[in-house]
Amino acid sequence: MGIKILTVDDSKTIRMIVKKAFRPYDCQIVEGENGVEGLALAAKEKPDLIILDITMPVMTGAEMLAKMKEEPDLKNIPVIMLTAEAGKDNVMKIVQMGVKDYMVKPFKGEQLIERVTNIMPLAEKKADAPTEEGGGSKYFSLDGDIQMLAVPAKILRPTIVEVETQLKPKLKEMTSGGIKKMILDLTKIKETNVSLIKLIISILDNSQMAGVKVLTVAGASLGKELKDFQETGNIPIHFSIDDAKAAF
Amino acid sequence: MDLATFDLPTFLRGATQEVFDTMLSMELTEQEHKAFTGGSRIVGSVSLAGSVSGTVNIHVSNTFATQITANMLGMELDEIDSDEEVHDVIGELSNMIGGDLKSRLCDAGFTCELSIPSITSGKDFSIESKGWAVNEIVYFQYQEHIALIEAFIKNGS
Repeated sequence: MGIKILTVDDSKTIRMIVKKAFRPYDCQIVEGENGVEGLALAAKEKPDLIILDITMPVMTGAEMLAKMKEEPDLKNIPVIMLTAEAGKDNVMKIVQMGVKDYMVKPFKGEQLIERVTNIMPLAEKKADAPTEEGGGSKYFSLDGDIQMLAVPAKILRPTIVEVETQLKPKLKEMTSGGIKKMILDLTKIKETNVSLIKLIISILDNSQMAGVKVLTVAGASLGKELKDFQETGNIPIHFSIDDAKAAF
Repeated sequence: MDLATFDLPTFLRGATQEVFDTMLSMELTEQEHKAFTGGSRIVGSVSLAGSVSGTVNIHVSNTFATQITANMLGMELDEIDSDEEVHDVIGELSNMIGGDLKSRLCDAGFTCELSIPSITSGKDFSIESKGWAVNEIVYFQYQEHIALIEAFIKNGS
């Protein structure tokens, strides 16, 4: 595992933007919603870097930073402050707090990465490295000579990226190991969305190109929904893993 | 500095366009006055308090709010399945626009603090704000959507 980063912001939106920015890098993201949570997490997790919002309820970023500076274990953790205020007085105040750097909102994820790399190196994530959102490689497991790919209950765009990133090297590994069968397990999925359809198509296309036969398993309700989509209407659906295994 | 000489129109337009461009990759164009006609909408608000007081509101339809949320979070429209996400994003936009305005006011000598964002949502409602020294209302368009941005300022107590 690479570096550990604590992001403290009352806005889930900003925390998601921060997480997304670091997704290509080998790091673990820990989240807090206010200064009190941030302080507790800093003490527990000992992060390598803290990305800290200023204006938050319960305890502000400035108050959290002041308390960190009183703690020998925490006072040297580098902090990048996030602020919506670019005014001279505010910037002076932030600089005097002893932070490593600051970013004014609005900002792009790549700008944040640039600031962080000025403080510490970031290593790109290896293809097989598990991610902090559940571990891409955890979607795959081997059952005899059949590769299982079990997708999570909710498919969002990051999940697609994660699964696709894992799929290509996995297919290479399978073909070089003589494994030509895969079961795409959709039984955890409760409802369809555009991302799910894209993911299914991507998995089937990539597997076909690699010469791997894929059988799809889904619940009855999802199976019916998939039949209604033009893109997935012709895919044979099996209703249990055992049925799919028997069909190979 | 006299508050009446504070260039609120320029600052409000600049902040709004920068926030939408940087965070959402949406290029806004200014429009003539266009009233919101019915339908559900969301208003994100932040307040200023200090040597000046004021408020900044951003009004968008629920549909536009969902599009904004998807752009902000890098998600598909049908992945946005909770009001919480939408409200948080609209609140954060008002925080960024209000934060920029606050900075401009502080740089001009009007020291003030910025509140945490709040959200109002519903349909067929209007917000009337009276008694302000300076105010600005701007309508922006993005594709078929309208965003109404308004700011009201007066000298603080």
